[in-house]
Amino acid sequence: MVFSAKRYSRRGYDVSEELNLRDQGAAMWESWNRPKRVAFAIGVIFLVALLPYAADFSITSVLNTPITSYQSVLVYPVGMFVLMALGLNIVVGKSGMLDLGYVAFFAIGAYTQGILGTKTGLSTWEILPIGTFLAMLSGLLLGLPTLRLRGDYLAIVTLGFGEIVRLVALNSRETGGPNGITGIPNPTPLFGQRFTLDNPKAYFWIVLVMILLVIWMIRRLSVRRPGRAWEAIRQDEDVASLMGVPTLKYKLWSFSIGASIGGAAGVLYASKIMVIAPDMFTLNVSILILACVVFGGMGNIWGVVLGATLLAYLPERIRFITDARQLVFGLTLVVVMNVRPDGLLPRKKREKIAVKDKE
Amino acid sequence: MSEKVLELKNLTMKFGGVTALNAVNLHVNKGEICALIGPNGAGKTTVFNVITGVYTPTDGEILFNGANIIGKKRHHITGLGIARTFQNVRLFGEMTALENVLTASDVHKKSGLVGALFGTRRARREERESRDRAHELLEFMEIGHRSDQLGKNLPYGDQRRLEIARALGTEPQIILLDEPAAGFNPAEKVALAKTIQKIREKGYTVLLIEHDMSLIMGISDRVVVLDFGQKIADAAPKEVQNDPNVIAAYLGAPSDAS
Amino acid sequence: MNFAVLADQFWALTLTGISLGLIYVLVSLGYTMVYGVLRLINFANSEIFMVGTFATVIMSTGVFGYDINSETLHGAKLIFTMLACLIASMLLSGVAAVLVEIVAYRRLRAMGTNRLASLISAIGVSIVMSEGMRILTHSRPRSSPRLLEKWSFGEIAGANFRIDTVLVIVSSLILFFALDRFVSKSRLGKAIRAVSMSEETSKLMGINLNRVISATFLIGGLLTGAAAFFYTTVYEMTKYNVGFNLGLAAFTAAVLGGIGNIRGAFFGGLTLGLIEQFASAILGSQWKAITVFVVLVTVLLFKPNGIFGEAIQQTRV
Repeated sequence: MVFSAKRYSRRGYDVSEELNLRDQGAAMWESWNRPKRVAFAIGVIFLVALLPYAADFSITSVLNTPITSYQSVLVYPVGMFVLMALGLNIVVGKSGMLDLGYVAFFAIGAYTQGILGTKTGLSTWEILPIGTFLAMLSGLLLGLPTLRLRGDYLAIVTLGFGEIVRLVALNSRETGGPNGITGIPNPTPLFGQRFTLDNPKAYFWIVLVMILLVIWMIRRLSVRRPGRAWEAIRQDEDVASLMGVPTLKYKLWSFSIGASIGGAAGVLYASKIMVIAPDMFTLNVSILILACVVFGGMGNIWGVVLGATLLAYLPERIRFITDARQLVFGLTLVVVMNVRPDGLLPRKKREKIAVKDKE
Repeated sequence: MSEKVLELKNLTMKFGGVTALNAVNLHVNKGEICALIGPNGAGKTTVFNVITGVYTPTDGEILFNGANIIGKKRHHITGLGIARTFQNVRLFGEMTALENVLTASDVHKKSGLVGALFGTRRARREERESRDRAHELLEFMEIGHRSDQLGKNLPYGDQRRLEIARALGTEPQIILLDEPAAGFNPAEKVALAKTIQKIREKGYTVLLIEHDMSLIMGISDRVVVLDFGQKIADAAPKEVQNDPNVIAAYLGAPSDAS
Repeated sequence: MNFAVLADQFWALTLTGISLGLIYVLVSLGYTMVYGVLRLINFANSEIFMVGTFATVIMSTGVFGYDINSETLHGAKLIFTMLACLIASMLLSGVAAVLVEIVAYRRLRAMGTNRLASLISAIGVSIVMSEGMRILTHSRPRSSPRLLEKWSFGEIAGANFRIDTVLVIVSSLILFFALDRFVSKSRLGKAIRAVSMSEETSKLMGINLNRVISATFLIGGLLTGAAAFFYTTVYEMTKYNVGFNLGLAAFTAAVLGGIGNIRGAFFGGLTLGLIEQFASAILGSQWKAITVFVVLVTVLLFKPNGIFGEAIQQTRV
C-alpha cells in the first residue's frame, strides 16, 4: 500500500523491504537507547492527550465532525473502539480465535454500570472493577465449554452468546427491557476534572489511560511465555499442545482478558452516555470491532490502534459514509482479507526486527 | 537389565474398521537408540501419535517409567518427558528459530501469565535461563546462526534441525524422531547420524522412525519392525537385516534362504 | 411455561413445524454441502436466502405487475406465474452463491491462507449484501402479493392443511430427494462426494476442484433459492435482514444433523422446525430465537458430530 512500493536494485533483487516506511520506523526505534525511547513515548502520549483541543485551531479544524461534537467522538467511537479492538485483538489477532460476540462483554459492563449505578450508591470508579470482573467471569464461563471447538464453530457459538445477552437484556424486567436503563450517573470528579455532559475531554483522558494500561499489559505478555503460547496456538494448535503448551488454559486467559477489557469499556460508556438500551449492543458492534482488528493488522498493537482510529473516526467525519457505515465495514473485511490478509500493518515483519530488541 | 523408559503393552489402535495397530508390544531402554521400521502404512507414525496422546488407543497400555500415560493430556505427556518431531516439518513458521525453542522450553516453567505481567523475579530468571538454554540447543544442532530467522524462511535441512532442537527444548527423557532424514542427501544423512549419536551421548533416549537402512543400521542399538500394525521383529540390527520375515514384508514375497 | 397451549395445539404446531422445518432443510443443505467440500461455513448463505426472497417479490410485483391488492390467480396462469417466481428465485440465489464463492473464498483458497481469513471475508460479503439491500429498500420490509388463494383442504385434530403448507411440504420433499439422488448417482454428485472425502485424492484423480466447488455452491444456492420462494409464499413478506435468523436456524439444523451430511440435514431441519414451534408455544414467541441458539450451543458442546455427522475436531498430525 502507501507504505511500501516494489523496487528493484540494478541486479534485479527485490529491495522493497528497504523502502518500507514501517520497517524504517521500526529500525529507527531499535537504534535508540532507553532514555531516547522513553522521551519519545512520553512525547507521543502528551500529543495524544492534547487531541481534544485539536479541533479548536483553524488549521486543524478540518478534524471537526458534523453531527456529534469532535471531543465526544474522540471518546466514542474512537477511544472506545481502540480499547475494544485491543481487547479483541488478544483473542483474534494473537490467539487466532474468532469471537463474533465481543459486544456481549461490552454490554455486560454497561449494564453493570447501569443497574448498580441507578440502584446502589456506588460511583463509577467503584463499579469499574466490578463490571470488569463480571465481564471477565462471563468470558471464563463462556470459554470453558466452548474453547475446545475449532474456528468456525467457536465463531458461531460466540455469535450466539452475543445475541443471547442482547435478547436477555431485551426481554428481562431487571434490565429495563427494550427501553433499557436511564439516568445512569456520571463518574464522580477525579483529579479536579468533572465528568459532565459538556466535558467529554475528561472521559477521553480516562479512556486514554485505560488504553495505555492495556497496551502496557499486552506488550509485557507478548514477549514472554503467554505471548509465545498464544502465537503457537494461533499458528498450529495441535503441535503447540504436543510441545507442552497448555492450550486450553492459555485460550481461556486470552478470552478472559479480552472480555474484561470489553467490560471495562462498557462501564465507562454507560456512565458517559447515561442511557443504555439493548439495541446499542447488537451483532453489528461485534463486527465493527472485528473490522478494526482485521483492518489494522491482526496481532499488531499499533496496526490495531491505527485501524480502529481510522474506522471509528472516518464515518463520523465523512457524512455520506455515515449512512453506509456498515456497508463500508463489510467491504473493508472482504477487501482487506483478500488483498492483505494480514492487515495494514501485519505482524510478521515486525517480528524479525523485534527479536533483536528482546536480546 | 536396562531400565525400560517406554513400554507399549498389547497396544491396539482401531480407526473404525481399520486396525492400525494390533496388540503391539514394544519397549525402549534407557539411553538406547531404538529404530522403528516397516513398510509404508505399517503403523509407525500411529505409534508416535498414540504415545504422545494424539489418539487414545482402543486397547492396551503405554507405560512411561512404569506409569500408564493413556488418557493424559498432550501437554502433560510432554511435560513428563516425551518429545517428538514430525514426518512433515511442523514448525511454528512465523516465529523465529529461537522462539520456537523457547516455546517448547516453557513447558517446565513454574511462572506463567501472572509472572510475565508483573515481572516477578522467578519469571525473569526462568526467562533468562531458558533463553540461554535455547541458544545452547540451537548451537548444539548447529543452527545457532539462524536464531533470529523466521522458521518458514529457513532452508529445509535447518528446519529439520530446528524441529529437533525444539523437541529437545522440552527437556525430554525420550525423543521420538519421525523420519528425521527425509529429503536429505547422503552427506546430510551422515551428519544427522552423528547428531543423533550426540543426542544419545547427552543422555537422551531416542526412538526413531526411518526408511534409510544404512542410517538405521549404523546407529541403532535395536530395531523393531512393524508390518500391517503388528510387530514382526525386535532385535539387534544385524539380526533384523537377515530375518526372513522382515525381508518378506519389504519385498512382499517369500524369501529364499540366503 | 405454558404447556396447555402445547397440548392444545400439538398437531397444528407439528404441521407448521414440518413445513417450516423443510424450508430449513433446503437452506441447511447450502451450509452442509459447502462445508463438506470446503470445510468452511458459508456465512453468506443467509444473504443468499434473502436475495431469493427479494427475487420472488420482484418477479411478482415488478415483472408481472401484481401487488398486494391484486386478485389471486387460478389455473394455468397461477402455475405459470408461480413457477416463474420459483425459477427466478432459484436462479438468482444460485448465481449469488457462485459469486460469493468467487469473491469471498476462491482467492483466499488459492493463497492458502488460514481459515480465519476466509471466514472473515465471508462475513464481510454477508454484510455487504444485507447492508446493500437495506440501503436499497430503505430498511423497509416488502410485502409479497398473494398469488395463491390460501384455501384449506381441511383440518385434522386442529392441524390446518392449507394449500401453501401442503405445497411447501410436497415440493421440499421432491427437491430433497432429487438432490439425494443426484449426489448418489450422477457424475458431478460423485465428484462432490469425492472432494468432501479427500481433496488431495480428488485432485489426483483428475477432478477439477474449482468446478466442483462452484457447482456445490450453485446447488446449495438453488436449493436455498427454492426455500426462499416457499418462505415468501407462506409469509408474504421479506426484509433485508430476513436471512439472519433463518440462516442461523438452518445452520443449526445442519450442525444438528451432522454438518457435511446431507441426509443428516434432513433430520436436523425437521427436528429444529418442530423444536422451534413447541418452544414457541411453551415459552412464548419472543424466546424463539434464543431457543435456536441454545440448541446450537448444546449440540456443539455435547455432540459436535451432530447425530449422524463426522467429527469436526479431527487432529491432523
